[in-house]
Amino acid sequence: MTTDRKAILVLGIGNILLGDEGVGVAVVDYLRDHGGAPEGVDLLDGGTGSMVLLEPMRESRRMILVDATADGAAPGTLQRLVPRFSSDFPPSLSAHDIGLRDLLDTFYLLGETPEVVLYAISIRFPQEIHFGLSAEVAAAVPRVAEQIRKELQEG
Amino acid sequence: MSNRIVIDPVTRIEGHLRIEAVVENGVVTDAFSAGTMVRGIEKILKGRDPRDAWAFTERVCGVCTTVHALASCRSVEDALGIAVPKNAELVRNLMFCAQYVQDHVVHFYHLHALDWVDVVSMLKADPVATSKLAQSLSPWPKSNPGHFAAVQKRLKGFVESGQLGIFANGYWSHKAYKLPPEVNLLAVSHYLDALEWQKEIVKIHAIFGGKNPHPNYLVGGVPCSFNLEELNAINTERLNHVGSLIKEAITFVEQVYIPDLLAIASFYKDWAAIGGGLQNYLAYGDLPTKGYNDPSSFLLPRGAILNRNLNEIHEVSGKDANEIKEYISHSWYQYSGGDGVGLHPFKGETEFNYTGPKPPYDHLNVEGKYSWLKTPRWKDHPMEVGPLSRMLVAYAKGNTDVKELVGVVLKKLDVPITALFSTLGRTAGRGVETQVVAHWMKGFYDDLITNLKNGDTKTFNPVHWEPDTWPATAEGVGMTEAPRGALAHWVSIKDRVIDNYQLVVPSTWNASPRDTKGQRSAYEEALIGTPVANVEQPVEVLRTIHSFDPCLACAVHLYDPDGKQVHQVQFS
Repeated sequence: MTTDRKAILVLGIGNILLGDEGVGVAVVDYLRDHGGAPEGVDLLDGGTGSMVLLEPMRESRRMILVDATADGAAPGTLQRLVPRFSSDFPPSLSAHDIGLRDLLDTFYLLGETPEVVLYAISIRFPQEIHFGLSAEVAAAVPRVAEQIRKELQEG
Repeated sequence: MSNRIVIDPVTRIEGHLRIEAVVENGVVTDAFSAGTMVRGIEKILKGRDPRDAWAFTERVCGVCTTVHALASCRSVEDALGIAVPKNAELVRNLMFCAQYVQDHVVHFYHLHALDWVDVVSMLKADPVATSKLAQSLSPWPKSNPGHFAAVQKRLKGFVESGQLGIFANGYWSHKAYKLPPEVNLLAVSHYLDALEWQKEIVKIHAIFGGKNPHPNYLVGGVPCSFNLEELNAINTERLNHVGSLIKEAITFVEQVYIPDLLAIASFYKDWAAIGGGLQNYLAYGDLPTKGYNDPSSFLLPRGAILNRNLNEIHEVSGKDANEIKEYISHSWYQYSGGDGVGLHPFKGETEFNYTGPKPPYDHLNVEGKYSWLKTPRWKDHPMEVGPLSRMLVAYAKGNTDVKELVGVVLKKLDVPITALFSTLGRTAGRGVETQVVAHWMKGFYDDLITNLKNGDTKTFNPVHWEPDTWPATAEGVGMTEAPRGALAHWVSIKDRVIDNYQLVVPSTWNASPRDTKGQRSAYEEALIGTPVANVEQPVEVLRTIHSFDPCLACAVHLYDPDGKQVHQVQFS
């Protein structure tokens, strides 16, 4: 349910039908399956949701976004970024024109400044259309999840 | 003089669309629409449990998510002979209506309005005059001069810096923009109000579907547990929440969306003669009131119109092998029986065959294959699908709610009914539909409450849930209407798993390439005759394309074959 929104939102984004593109969702699933959400944290499988995600995002105090990037680095490479505007984002694979970046832009339009950390995981490009992660990217999932958990514990 | 303009990608849409248009003497004389990303959901589904298919198809897109789940559940129910209980019908209708109202409002303000509204001009508006204008149009409360001055001030820096995506990609100050600064400010202010409002209405999906995005569906019903008193069930409190969200939706549509639509449209009445395109309209219909198998009970009726003849509505069947067929003469696929034939989706094949140029390229070879979209036809006619088609079919079938509101809109704009066959008509038709559907949603809600109060809490029909009750082979079709047009899934089940699964999505009807006979599909045809004042800034082309509410995420998937960055152009 979307009621009782927590202070920190961990939002995994991506299309699980496009192989490694779904890695953001896999990280959130991993956190849920390994210890669950820490107190005050909401884990959300954002899937390919677009405008629908505005509500949970607006209701959170701080956001940790997890998404795939096609930046040319070795698959499974992790970057932690603190983007300010949509133009600060790494190359995205999202098929959504009205996607994550626009959602963050809407915070500014509505007179707010979002507090965002982005975990971007490099994936090979292009992806075949299939279900499930490649070995390299699957291996990165626990590593990313643990780093996020550490960040959450440090507050 | 002839120019060939290329818009790739078309911005403010979901998915990846490329338009090539030939412009001669300031008018489009030919056009080619190409989906340049490949789709392959059909391959993922083969061999899976048909009861799980909805959860996969729901993930193809973040916009139409619920309608794919609905079409999928219906296709399996149709194959196995399952009828859903009344409450399930009502809940599905409520989720359907919530999606329509949210999606149409988002389309109008966030995807389409900036084709008509100049955000730069807004900076010159007088907040006092804007307030007066707003109060003359609507009782919507956020309309004092201070509110408009604050919006103007807040957005000034973003408009000037181009830091935000939406303001960075416009053809601002183009002479095709005709609204006075005050109307521009009013519309941009409501753009922000719409953002706030839309995030509330979709809570209906979370309440009935358990979560958002990608709410839960269920073959045989809906996964809802109703108990008016129990804390963890869908109880009185949650239902009251749904009731108030519906009330707010009606208010927003009637006090903001429709007044804005009429105010903006009144400055662009020339667009009632532009962008009409095809003369054939197709609607599968939806919102059953006596079950999915009785289309005569649908509030959005099923039917086809040919040659704009509103006096004759043709019956439509998803199962008749001679009605819906997909062609690939100009699509990057191959059929085992040759590329010249059309295949009914039950016999559909999904074999890729990319023969296009190696990107980056200047132009596609439009004589050959040039799109990842197949080309669907109804009895070999190219058809337009979408809100306009649905409203025309409902109008022609004599639906009183639709007839009345269409009459009001035509009268206010002082245009004849033929004005509907246009870019403006498409945009107005979407508004009419939103208002009608918002009220129908209230009706479904009242019916649901009555049912529950009478003690009927059944939401699931368990008959044929277990695979050992299934026949060795079965096939079914699930037809629905995505906000942007007719959508259907066809499933063939063999030995209790999916043997074949085909989707024919709205953008396949509208955005597809030519067929074997060379007939254009809806986008291509609608662009013919569109004026283009400046080939460097073809805002007029975007107006017509956006009027269809393109969404290609489910029609095609992410990439050019070489992995070219999809969205580099507008965001980097």
